[in-house]
Amino acid sequence: MGNKVRLGFVPLVDCAIPVVARAMGFADQENIELELIREMSWAAIRDKLSYGVYEAAHLLAGIPIAARLGLGGVPVQHLVVPMALGRGGNAITVSTRLYQRMLEADPAAMHGPRGLSARALKKVIDEDRASGRPVMSFATVFPFSSHNYELRYWMAAAGIDPDKDVNIGVIAPQRMFDSLRNGWVDGYCVGEPWNQRAVFHGDGVIVALKDDIWSRSPEKVLGVRQDWVDSNPDTVSALVRALVRAAEWADEPGNRAELAQMLSEESNVGAPYDVLKASLDGRPVLRPGEAPTEVPDRHVFYRYTATFPWLSQASWVGAQMKRWGQVPANTDLNQVIRQVYRPDLYRTAVKGLDVAVPAHDWRVEGTNGAEDRAFVGPDSFLDNSVFDPDLAR
Amino acid sequence: MVRTEDFNILVIDEDPDRAAIVERGLVESGYTRVARIGTSHNLVERIQALAPDIIIIDLENPDRDTLEQMFQVSRAIARPIAMFVDKSDSSMIHEAVAAGVSAYVVDGLREDRIRPIVEMAISRFNVFDQLRRERDEAKAKLNERKLIERAKGILMKEKGLTEEDSYNLLRKNAMKQNRKIYEIAQSVITAFQLEF
Repeated sequence: MGNKVRLGFVPLVDCAIPVVARAMGFADQENIELELIREMSWAAIRDKLSYGVYEAAHLLAGIPIAARLGLGGVPVQHLVVPMALGRGGNAITVSTRLYQRMLEADPAAMHGPRGLSARALKKVIDEDRASGRPVMSFATVFPFSSHNYELRYWMAAAGIDPDKDVNIGVIAPQRMFDSLRNGWVDGYCVGEPWNQRAVFHGDGVIVALKDDIWSRSPEKVLGVRQDWVDSNPDTVSALVRALVRAAEWADEPGNRAELAQMLSEESNVGAPYDVLKASLDGRPVLRPGEAPTEVPDRHVFYRYTATFPWLSQASWVGAQMKRWGQVPANTDLNQVIRQVYRPDLYRTAVKGLDVAVPAHDWRVEGTNGAEDRAFVGPDSFLDNSVFDPDLAR
Repeated sequence: MVRTEDFNILVIDEDPDRAAIVERGLVESGYTRVARIGTSHNLVERIQALAPDIIIIDLENPDRDTLEQMFQVSRAIARPIAMFVDKSDSSMIHEAVAAGVSAYVVDGLREDRIRPIVEMAISRFNVFDQLRRERDEAKAKLNERKLIERAKGILMKEKGLTEEDSYNLLRKNAMKQNRKIYEIAQSVITAFQLEF
């Protein structure tokens, strides 16, 4: 009889790691009886983890930080992050109508680097303002999501004030596509398969990928409760090992077709196989009817330390919370992050295995071309800035 | 200070039957200002118009993600809204989570005034769950009976057995294989559906 672990997940491509851990026997090998439960909302998953319905959850990187601070009117929850669940998969999709307007307003920006495509959006916003049209609406998936921070980063770099020049609301991932289709929103930032699906249906155009904004931006993490960690340290280690092994399997290009098949099942993501396959192969279609674009790092599950819970990545999330006024400017977020993100748990779990771990828990982010590039992967912000967590206190 | 009965309560539920059961429970307990909405793309506008003091929403409703952001940023809504007013009251929280109820409350309302409302919602969710289980079981029973009837018909026609012998044959096999009669019936139907 294994240790029972109930893990809640949201149907997105990056639920791959727990799905693989269960389906390919990595959990069994660690004597973990892994039960996966599909959830349709981040609030539901957070609450069920917090109040003991689940032992573990697939969470947005910002949720455990927000929970520790009691943000959003929700009582303080002591959640911790022993590992990350890969990265990649997000994109900004706009309606085909808005895409046409952006193309007409600033063809140069739309043919330049995708990270700067918001310059065209800025021109459309200026046109709208001049002619007295209402502001446009965009959606992300949760207030404390990388999607929210990536969308805002992309807009702000082009001189758009995301709090004044547009409306940014929240819509659960699986409702995004319908909202775009029905014209309730003009664009959104969400994880796959919801971008690729809009393109395949001819309703949306991908104007920027997560890679174009900041390739190392943290995405989903494994969330567990502090009290569960304290009373089950061995199970935590075993769970981390099973998930790290699963991540390694999922990263293998030769396994991606099987992974797409697995995720297409209704109990997992439940999206069409070809949509999932295009994305997992790193060959997304950005505009309806066009040839795929080669983006080899579209979904990174294991390589580039994608399962390591970097404190500096979490610090960037914290810095975005401050930037957009979600926490008071004098909050010592790095202090909070040290309590929530626990690379020590990761290091303990993989000790003795052939899993490469970094020498430090912090690094200066955005230093593409530095000596650790091969180890941590491509690392540029769209504006070529660097993020030094020491300065973000 | 508002009287309890003056609270504006909003029930948001994708399941209109469950919403109706919760609403009725609240109205019968003296809370007359209860509104309910299903899922809606203009949720924000509708909530602003209704100005609820308390929102009861099923825990798994994807609209909760939308609501939480709205409470955070909106200046149109009176005050930020907190979930489960008193965090020390963990037994009620656990009961609510187990029943699938979540609640958002205008900050500043006293816990003892909220409690009966949330408790009513929890008990109504549980009642609904019970009703649904009974309905599902009844439906399943009916389907099982239909399968057995069909299998008997096949055996009578194909094997020339009487109705009673057909039933006994199904029952005997079920006992021998330690399975349910309807499962054997399903196997018979499947077997005779094969094309040779």
